[in-house]
Amino acid sequence: MAARVIVTTSGKGGVGKTTSTANIAAALARFGKKVVAVDADVGLRNLDVIMGLENRVVYNFIDVIEKTCKLNQALVKDKRVPGLYLLPAAQTRTKDAVNPEQMVALCEELKPEFDFVLLDCPAGIEGGFKNAAAGAEEALVVTTPEIPSVRDADRIIGMLESMGKSPIRLIINRLRPNMVQDGDMLAKDDILDVLSIDLIGVVPEDESVIRATNNGEPMTMSLDSPAAHAYLNIAERILGHDVPLMDLESYASRSFISKIKRFFMGKRKNRS
Amino acid sequence: MNIPNLNLFKKINKPGARIIPEKKDYGMKFFLPENLTEDELLKMLVRLPQSAYKLPEDQGIVLDFGKRACSKRLILHMINSIVWVKNIKIFAWLSENEESLKLFKSAGLSMDEEFILESFKKAEEKKSQDFPEIQEEIIKAPETKISALKVVYNSMRSGQRIETEGDVVVWGNLNHGAEIIAGGSIIIAGRLLGVIHAGGYGREDVFVWAGCFETPQVRIANKLCYADPKSTTCWRKSVLITLEDHKPVIRENKFITHN
Repeated sequence: MAARVIVTTSGKGGVGKTTSTANIAAALARFGKKVVAVDADVGLRNLDVIMGLENRVVYNFIDVIEKTCKLNQALVKDKRVPGLYLLPAAQTRTKDAVNPEQMVALCEELKPEFDFVLLDCPAGIEGGFKNAAAGAEEALVVTTPEIPSVRDADRIIGMLESMGKSPIRLIINRLRPNMVQDGDMLAKDDILDVLSIDLIGVVPEDESVIRATNNGEPMTMSLDSPAAHAYLNIAERILGHDVPLMDLESYASRSFISKIKRFFMGKRKNRS
Repeated sequence: MNIPNLNLFKKINKPGARIIPEKKDYGMKFFLPENLTEDELLKMLVRLPQSAYKLPEDQGIVLDFGKRACSKRLILHMINSIVWVKNIKIFAWLSENEESLKLFKSAGLSMDEEFILESFKKAEEKKSQDFPEIQEEIIKAPETKISALKVVYNSMRSGQRIETEGDVVVWGNLNHGAEIIAGGSIIIAGRLLGVIHAGGYGREDVFVWAGCFETPQVRIANKLCYADPKSTTCWRKSVLITLEDHKPVIRENKFITHN
């Protein structure tokens, strides 16, 4: 077994790299793959919180690199989904604690054990990004439909291209179809026109993402939201399946109807 | 040089009533008809098209009156109505008539064509001997230092930068955050969103061509121009930007053929 090593990156912070990593990792595991999500954001670790594995973290990957512990000791197995693992980052160290060669060596150590190694990259273009990207062969670039985010994604894509990563694919996160229709948000095609890379998925803005993040449960474990479906589709596309893009407009109208239903149902319950 | 047809004075049907021009090293020599009256000759000279008198700055005309006996009135009229009005340089006044020669001499007019020919020959020889390198430079002038052209065969992404002394062609988009500083001109085949500086080292004979103009700032030579998306009519259109009289001028590429 030789894993595919994929880095999830964006350049700009707060666009959904960690959420995407957690959900894609959980979705790939649901498809029966053995997946490890590596939190490469040393000093600002969050992947463990989003995956709901915070309480079980003992060692981190810096400990593995520094030979303080063995790889198996640092890996945290998610008991809810078979085949899903987390390799957490150190919260008390800085990004200087690791160099690109050590990251490459760590990925090489992980490769024989897994089908997929997903690296959650820190924001920015400095050492943290270079470390995370060093070990990867493929890249997922996450952007939101905002000009600063697209611009930073463009910068990151340029750097990934110069590092020889391929394929580099795009995730458009937090898209609001209604705002796009009103011309208040960049449309999918506008973003693709600038970034000129393959689109792997569009994730709609979804309240359930906040709920899932705070509950520490990746959405793709339950699949009751549009964002969960979008991440599942992305995972399928990573596996090479031909999955059409979601019809986000129908999702938007469906959620509007369900809101009205909930409003009236809630009133009836209150009366009874 | 084109020698115009001087036989324009059709009203004069006298045989030989025409001005015969002859090309010379110093310019032109006009043989004036002898069988016309002075008034007819004056009219003929006045009616000659301006192109007949048009010569390079250092060249001039020699008038040959033949055997005609010129009067003071004719000379005065020629100077007043032709030489000064048409701004002609007369190098010499020639005649085979004694009276005419005396008149030219008394008026201080030059009558030595040979001297003029000789002086022109000497000047030409001196020019070729003394300044051969100048001629060489004139020939070479259009070929002076052609700057290297840099072609980028894809889009330039944010953070990517080119700085060159020559011209730049981007066969793609110039995205936000990308930057080009060129000593020469810049062509962006696709969308121009990033920062460009044409004539970055002070050259003003440069241009910027963009397939789709979407940048809020353009720099040409030492000029900085801002473009407001709301008020710029060429926004998101194909444009050519140049400096004219030291001022930036933006033109939309409409490519309309006027009939």
